[in-house]
Amino acid sequence: MRGSVLGRVHRTDLALSLAILALVGAGFYLCTTFEEVSPLFADTIPPDFFPRLMLSVIGVLAVLLPFEHAVRSRRGDSGLDEDRRDTVRPIAYVTFAAALVLVAAAEWLGTYLTLVAICFALPLLWGERRWKPLAAFALGFPTAVMILFTQAFQIYFQPGVFGLNLN
Amino acid sequence: MEPILEGLGLAFSLYNMALVMAGVLIGVLFGALPGLSSPLAIALLLPFTIMLEPVSAICMMAALYCAGTFGGSITAILINAPGAPPAVATAFDGYPMARRGEAGRALGIAAVSSVTGGLLSLVVFIVATPLLAKVAVSFRPPEYFALTVFALSMLASISGRSSLRNLIAGAVGVLISTIGTHLGTGIERFTFGFHELTEGVEFVPVLIGLFAVSEMLVQSQTGDMALERIKSVVVKLPSREDIRRVAGTVLRSSGIGTFIGILPAEGSTVAAIMGYNEAKRWSPRKHEFGTGVPEGIAGPEAANNAATGGAMVPTLALGIPGSGTTALILAALIAHGFRPGPYLIQNTPEFVYAIFGAMAVGNVAFLVIGLVGAKVFARITLIPRTFLWPMVFGFSVIGAYSLSGSFFDVWVMLIAGAVGFLMRRHGFGAAPLVMGLILGRMLEETLSQSMIMYDNDWLRLLESPIVCGFFALAVLGLAWPAIAARMAARRSRGDE
Repeated sequence: MRGSVLGRVHRTDLALSLAILALVGAGFYLCTTFEEVSPLFADTIPPDFFPRLMLSVIGVLAVLLPFEHAVRSRRGDSGLDEDRRDTVRPIAYVTFAAALVLVAAAEWLGTYLTLVAICFALPLLWGERRWKPLAAFALGFPTAVMILFTQAFQIYFQPGVFGLNLN
Repeated sequence: MEPILEGLGLAFSLYNMALVMAGVLIGVLFGALPGLSSPLAIALLLPFTIMLEPVSAICMMAALYCAGTFGGSITAILINAPGAPPAVATAFDGYPMARRGEAGRALGIAAVSSVTGGLLSLVVFIVATPLLAKVAVSFRPPEYFALTVFALSMLASISGRSSLRNLIAGAVGVLISTIGTHLGTGIERFTFGFHELTEGVEFVPVLIGLFAVSEMLVQSQTGDMALERIKSVVVKLPSREDIRRVAGTVLRSSGIGTFIGILPAEGSTVAAIMGYNEAKRWSPRKHEFGTGVPEGIAGPEAANNAATGGAMVPTLALGIPGSGTTALILAALIAHGFRPGPYLIQNTPEFVYAIFGAMAVGNVAFLVIGLVGAKVFARITLIPRTFLWPMVFGFSVIGAYSLSGSFFDVWVMLIAGAVGFLMRRHGFGAAPLVMGLILGRMLEETLSQSMIMYDNDWLRLLESPIVCGFFALAVLGLAWPAIAARMAARRSRGDE
């Protein structure tokens, strides 16, 4: 296998390359769904030309991706895998899921309560168990920020269902 | 002369000075905190500066940019944790010197070298920007198209592990810039029925997501750092002996840094590493590097700060970002309704001179703030990450929301954060994507205009010698990583 084309392929990069190529394919399909151009604009570059050009560039570069590792290893440079050597820890997924939930609830909760929830939930998820500083932070930081932005910058924030804001 | 005085008058007004000082403080703070950086600070600040006068907002960001580069050095020297990538090389000799009990001396050398590099590059900035703009005024769409292609080709050699991945990220950025209504025909592209996307993707939420949210996800996986802190820091200005010893290095590194900064897409990190390498190459005490020699601190510090002034030249004169951070400043200019490029200095020269004034003040201010407050800034790293990152996320949500009072932008920010996290994990940088996003519109617009000029005959693009020159430089930019690797291999074979 060593020395053959398959032997030089980096598996993770191959998967990455295939994922990018799938997205490129989806992009090409979406380009076919653009509205038709009026004959008035026959002389201008069509709207799908530039996206297709970029998708082609990305596609060609993505095809090279699985072989990059082999080329760099030959030069004694194997730093490409440094950031993905360890698996993603569950806390990253949990943090992102919490962020999604908090943002989804933001319109209902209002900006102030969302900030309070962020400042309480994220430290808790990350292992903070010193309750007094946590409570002070969860109330103090959002209040200070809201006062600053509503008073100094005159930004209007959503009050939410509880009608709570400092506008 | 009048625009210069008017510009400096604007920069030195009490209100703008207060904002410049705030920018310096935020810059040093964000630079000093590992994980936080000046691009992140600018991305977070951008939505709130929209309501400021454009001059005030850009002056604040320019000062923040200078100070953020220096801020990273404080923690690099005191706790061996570079607050930002450009300060990595400073830690090589800064930290060993600090461990020897000479932390104050190391900080003093870093601060004075940074300021000197920054101020020297500003001289180049103020001389070169109008000259370059004067040349660029004669550029027509084909020349601009070729210039943009050249700038994007430089992504191949931007700091980061992989040229190929940088180019892919840049191309993805350009592709994202095509979302929205096509200017030539009015046809919507990739909007998926969201009316918020008809005018294209807002830069700001994407920038906040790529820089702040993705970093938060990275930081969620790391523990609090156990760092050995240097105690009893009494900051000292460099002695006459130290100044004599590092003067040549500072001048050389300032030149290198300014040049690297002027090159599109290259930034402070590349400049700092080159500054360190050149300081070592020219030193008679090469073998002492890494043990805490003054030249090892002065070289990267002068270079990384000189790159800030250099990077502003193409940003303001051509509308082509000189680095990742100036890409954000460019986004801020666009958000304020300016069209960066040669007409900016032609129509509003006082604006450019005000930025120059703000950067000059910023450089001197961080010398004072950095030296006096070094101890405080080093202690700031004690803020537990369990409180720091929720704060950053809170600001991110408010920043993305307040831009247009819409939660749609907050969702865009979250998606950009997840994409940024995945990209970083697989070696793709955020900065190339931002460059592509910002340059994408210019690339498509100028290509369309060129094709109208040349009746869709591509070959006629090559009629202009300037276009040919830029295309040749683009080919060189793309090939450079391979050429450099071959040269390095040959050199190492020669050493053996």
